[in-house]
Amino acid sequence: MNRQDCILTIDLGTGAVRIFAFDLQGIFIGSMKGSYPTFHREPDQSEQDPEQIFITVLYVLKNLLNERIHPSGYRVSAICFSAAMHSVLPVDKKGNPLGNAITWSDNRGKMEARQLRTSPEGKTIYDATGTPIHPMSPLIKITWMKNEDKHRFHLTARFLSLKSYIIQQLTGETIIDYSLASATGLFNIHSFRWEDAALDYAGILASQLPELVPVFYSSPRLRPEYQASLGLDAATRIIAGASDGCLATLGAGVWGEGKATITVEQSGAVRVVGKEVLIDEKQRLFNYVLTRDYYVSGGPTNNGGVIFEWFTREFGSFRKAFDLEEAMEGLIQEASKIPAGSEGLLFLPYLLGERAPIWNANARGVYFGLNMQHRQQHFVRATIEGILFEIYSIGKTLEEHRPIHTLSINGSFAAYPFWAQLIADMFNKPVHVKNNSDSIGLGAFLVAATEMGMYQSLEEATRGIDLPGMFRPDRNNHEVYMRLFPIFERLSSKLADDFEEIAGLQS
Amino acid sequence: MNPFLLQKGFSKELDLFPHILEFGVKKIQTIRLTSFPVEKSNSFSIYYIWDGRYDWLIDDRSYILYPADLALVLPGQPFGSPRGTLDIGSYGWISLDIGTSDSSLGPFSGLSPTESRSIRKILLLNNVPVATSMKETGKLFQQLAQELHLQEIGYQTRTNQLIDALLILTARQLIQQSHSQRDFSGSFMKLEQELRKNLSHQWAVEEMAALVGLGTTAFTEKVKTYTGFSPLNYLINIRISEAIKLLKQTDTNLTDIALDTGFYSSQHFSTTFKKLTGYTPSQFRKDNTDIP
Repeated sequence: MNRQDCILTIDLGTGAVRIFAFDLQGIFIGSMKGSYPTFHREPDQSEQDPEQIFITVLYVLKNLLNERIHPSGYRVSAICFSAAMHSVLPVDKKGNPLGNAITWSDNRGKMEARQLRTSPEGKTIYDATGTPIHPMSPLIKITWMKNEDKHRFHLTARFLSLKSYIIQQLTGETIIDYSLASATGLFNIHSFRWEDAALDYAGILASQLPELVPVFYSSPRLRPEYQASLGLDAATRIIAGASDGCLATLGAGVWGEGKATITVEQSGAVRVVGKEVLIDEKQRLFNYVLTRDYYVSGGPTNNGGVIFEWFTREFGSFRKAFDLEEAMEGLIQEASKIPAGSEGLLFLPYLLGERAPIWNANARGVYFGLNMQHRQQHFVRATIEGILFEIYSIGKTLEEHRPIHTLSINGSFAAYPFWAQLIADMFNKPVHVKNNSDSIGLGAFLVAATEMGMYQSLEEATRGIDLPGMFRPDRNNHEVYMRLFPIFERLSSKLADDFEEIAGLQS
Repeated sequence: MNPFLLQKGFSKELDLFPHILEFGVKKIQTIRLTSFPVEKSNSFSIYYIWDGRYDWLIDDRSYILYPADLALVLPGQPFGSPRGTLDIGSYGWISLDIGTSDSSLGPFSGLSPTESRSIRKILLLNNVPVATSMKETGKLFQQLAQELHLQEIGYQTRTNQLIDALLILTARQLIQQSHSQRDFSGSFMKLEQELRKNLSHQWAVEEMAALVGLGTTAFTEKVKTYTGFSPLNYLINIRISEAIKLLKQTDTNLTDIALDTGFYSSQHFSTTFKKLTGYTPSQFRKDNTDIP
């Protein structure tokens, strides 16, 4: 064999597709991305155009193949997929999309979510499916369609995920992997089948959903037209893969007891991996599956880096047009001049309402404890600390169920050394930093490599992952944060009634 | 400024300027009822407030204008005072014919074809019809009036130059107002919407850049970092994805789909489509409508 084999991973992210290429040893060859828009044409709406996503995938794939893969003589032996969770794409009986896909941040089902969440039925469904009852969940999105978008609901032959649609377009097979299915609120994470109680509630049949397959499922093949136009051969395996959250956790090497991973991109999440489902009486945590042996459990926040971007746009100084990056770095430098705890200025970052752990869509932002000594820099530092206190509060909720000894953090915001150090200080634990899209790509590679027999198990596959960039906690700073955190926590719940009232005035 | 009124067809001063439909200053000394009802405007007009406070309705939204404020009214937009009255004060206005073709402002303009097209686009796409603190506009109005009244040597050229200056100034102000130069994703989303609304238009990169308020080089670099594509390739993504929808859902013939989505011809559409997807449009349509 003179041609070297390689594996491609395609991540259908919330705003862009990222394609990575690795050789069979897991050495990174190259990557490319292409973004697509999210439409917000009415309040609470978030939609994406499935055809644009498909074209973007083809375009980026073609560019990567033509510029990096084919010229170096690589043969693509497998393509493994990952995707953002919670999208719903209704299609007609010919498989053609009925309008746009509804994506994770769509909030139109908030009434439906509130109703179900507080009912005994909601508790049963949460226990069975592991997905918190929230407008993000496809269960709620489909229920919303049944109530409010009746025409489309009745025309729908099948409810796909965006990933199912892309794979269907490329191969003709309509599938969804267990991992992505486990984030739909419709999938029983104990029996690995669609959950009847959830299907009944949404008013649909199992036959209206894609076929369930394991993450290692690899029988689909590219349609001949795409083999020809992309220059790939008929043997290239198309591997179902998993959700981005599960793969980021796998690719960060967080596989085993005592480890947790923190992602801070626009939004954020804290996750742990284990062989058991975490049962949370207050329904605050998600339990997603990767394979039959592993559950990825944790909590998501709406208010990650997006809040710091908001702060920078409004209050940062821009020397060049649109140079957000430089303005953010400037602010972080300012923040570093202020002592830990911002001398008693606290920030609740709930500008977008909040998911874990308070699950309150009406929560809003608060600066608390202002005095005449506080200057602009205090606001900057307090804003970053508030975003990370929220991350810490998810971590603390998880620690009620599992001990956490080390943290692996990833995502464009967590990668700022200042933020990484803050996380280490708050948790009082050592922190390793990894790039998030790299983690997702590597996670998908490990799934493909395991499927192809290069590793015995995913556990073995993660052993080779090195954890770079260690940050050690500062005990003094930790103590300061631990004196402030109880106030943060109390305010977050104490203000519930006032959040409700002020949110009412804002709508 | 003293009141006056010049009108095309009536005022000799405008004989050399067929693109100026009306130019004048109005002074109101007593409140006049029913003198300014809301009516559909039939031209492109710029209003400038010299004195007083005006409560006007532009395109169904109400705005309060103070001295040195400017209002832009587009053809077809309802415009007037919600109470129908004109309050005490004075204002000037100029109504222009900036062409119906998609190409440029008109033969009067000395702008380069690209700039002319971009500025026309910005003015006509404008969704913030009011600009504040526009003293510069007032000065241009004064100079224009002077040129037209005194008609000194070279006034034809000067007048047209002043109109160009007025349009450039207004376009710049609109860009600055509608985009803070801080939020690229927000500005890019607005541009995205415009591209989709006018997909059959032959967009040039200069035009797209102008709508975001950037130069072509900086714009191309930003878009490349943000989307992974050059501006024109990003546009092709939108074109092809809209074309796919039309292929799947309607009986529209291929030539119409090609032109509606901004390709020069069905041949151009077919080649681009095949290059990207591996299918010709007709194969693609057949494959996606025949599935049982």
